[in-house]
Amino acid sequence: MRLDGDFVLFRNFALLILFTLSGFSPSIAQIKEASPTASDSSLEFVIQQEKAGPSDVLGEISSTGTRCDVDDVLLPLLSKGGIPKNIDTLRALEGQQNQVASVVANCTVGVKIGAAKGCGVIITKSGYVLTAAHVAMRPGLTAEIFMADGRIVKAKSLGMNRSVDAGLMKIDADQNDGKPWPHATLGSSEGILPGMWCIATGHPGGYDKQRGAVTRVGRILAVRDLALVTDCALIGGDSGGPLFNLAGELIAVHSRIGNDVADNLHVPIEHYADSWERMQEGESWGYLPGFKPVLGVRGSPASDKAVLEVIRVGSPADKAGLQEGDIVEEFGDKLLTDFKSLQDAVADTMPGERVRLLINRNGKTRIVVVEIGRAGGV
Amino acid sequence: MLLRIALATILAFQYGSVADSLRADERRDQPAILDLFRPLGEEVKESVVQILCGGTPVALGTVVAADGYVMTKRSELTSDPIRVRFADGRLFPARVAAVKRRNDLALLRVDAEIEFQPLTFDTRSPAIASFLISVGRTGRPIGLGVVGVKERPIEHRGRLGVMLEDDAKGRALVQLVLPESGAAIAGISPGDRIVAINGEAEGSRDAVINRLKSMYPGESVKLTILRPNDLSEFDSLDISAQIRELGMLQESASDTKVNGPRNIRLSGFDRVIQHDTVLDPEDCGGPVIDSEGRAIGMNIARAGRVVSYLLPSSLILPEMLEMLEEARSNLD
Repeated sequence: MRLDGDFVLFRNFALLILFTLSGFSPSIAQIKEASPTASDSSLEFVIQQEKAGPSDVLGEISSTGTRCDVDDVLLPLLSKGGIPKNIDTLRALEGQQNQVASVVANCTVGVKIGAAKGCGVIITKSGYVLTAAHVAMRPGLTAEIFMADGRIVKAKSLGMNRSVDAGLMKIDADQNDGKPWPHATLGSSEGILPGMWCIATGHPGGYDKQRGAVTRVGRILAVRDLALVTDCALIGGDSGGPLFNLAGELIAVHSRIGNDVADNLHVPIEHYADSWERMQEGESWGYLPGFKPVLGVRGSPASDKAVLEVIRVGSPADKAGLQEGDIVEEFGDKLLTDFKSLQDAVADTMPGERVRLLINRNGKTRIVVVEIGRAGGV
Repeated sequence: MLLRIALATILAFQYGSVADSLRADERRDQPAILDLFRPLGEEVKESVVQILCGGTPVALGTVVAADGYVMTKRSELTSDPIRVRFADGRLFPARVAAVKRRNDLALLRVDAEIEFQPLTFDTRSPAIASFLISVGRTGRPIGLGVVGVKERPIEHRGRLGVMLEDDAKGRALVQLVLPESGAAIAGISPGDRIVAINGEAEGSRDAVINRLKSMYPGESVKLTILRPNDLSEFDSLDISAQIRELGMLQESASDTKVNGPRNIRLSGFDRVIQHDTVLDPEDCGGPVIDSEGRAIGMNIARAGRVVSYLLPSSLILPEMLEMLEEARSNLD
């Protein structure tokens, strides 16, 4: 991944905060609470999951997914991409787009965790939802899922492979009268070539009930290890939404954008299969290049408390007023036991996120809010 | 314990520009694909014009009547002399004959003894993901896109950019001025009293707010202001200020950059079809055709990185007929 625009990314990330505001008092409206999650509830929901590997998941969705028949005249466009050879083929392509757009609408969902709004795509009858890692944030969080029919249901974030921005969630059981959820048919990122046609859905700017999901059609522009690049124009709020091929198969999930309207990056579906078991277990790991979260402190692993021994000058910890000798007792919703637990907690955040710390300074308890920084950032 | 976060609307986060020049060959909107639609564009080209104000292209226009009428996006017109350029390059003067503020439409009367080719509108509504072609003055497709959202209304969000309260005498007192707003640009400051709008006295905060609510983005409003001076008295002054889109006032600098150039009026339409055609703001006012060449509407706004709006033919036709009737009756 290229890092030339990395600073733009970071700055943008912080500034995007304004995007959800409806009023004119950002200092108040910015700070919203994520749903409180008891630390042991994550254990409970992991146990509740059926143990399904990717292959079982495939089996579960074979009957009523989003796969659409493709007319013979479109097979070359499906398998190799390219330009329709005449207006009649173009109209056949259009008919295919119409069909895919109508079947994928129901499995495209809005996702809201705290104040952050993104998207997801349901991939099983039982309600597994693929999303971006930065939408799911961290394991065990409660999310609101906005269905195409306007219903709002509850879900929990499971795991996330942040090194590719892949995240997994599950809709809580017993919210659909025993009926299966509408879900996408999984495709494959293998064999995807530049020039192929694709259909993106999502909720740009966040879920809007009156508007619903927005469909875009584009083509694959580049195929990379970490991402597919398309000209399906995305914007804030689309993250986690699905990208389909002409057969209505899910091939990728929206992740991030560049300045040009044709710079739209999507996480290839293969990464979800590769990370499936760990994500399903509620594990989170890695970070996108240029997105390693930092606090800017040092301590000793040997200590049985999270004691801050060194505060790096100019670091997020320094800016928040943390001092050497401070003992961090709580980091967000996590109780800390030692310095290692602080390191783990920081690794579960994203640059730009604000976290409330409970610290002990000279025997007195204080609350400090830290804005997590980015390794190598300013 | 609560985890407090200030995380954003997510979050397609930005990673900067990837300049892969090779990629241009695979883009949806590449010339070879637009060429497939070219014959369809040719069929309507006599009905598409470019609108110039003071010599600057500001919009496209659509010929709607054989007696010399052209429809366009009203808010892009300036007070400078209007001229329209036809497919063959001929240029004629024109004037505004009627307007529909509610849907941002203007009907122009073209001063020329030529044969006009009015467009035939088709009131069918294309399905989601159908191709749409925006046609330029020479019949060339200026953009390809697809229907993204079914028809819906877009409520107007025009704001002057002030927060008001009643002062002791019940007049509308400016408390706060939004940066970058029309009020800020016009030099309105906290402490000012707004006592009249477009020459009509308004008694209170609520009256001023109600009056301003009826103003659409892009419209100019004349405010009569009482401003406290050093002698603890008020100076009275008239100030012109522009109503602007609330969404654009609130967005961050990076959102502005990501969204790119947009029209000054992006909201306040009875019904629009949202599509993903990449348009320049001055491309609005021209016809949009489907893959069968049917004119299903007219572009009315470039509203963001992923958003263009067109007014569907079923909305345009009654508006057009009313404007034509008004314009023709004024001729008598």
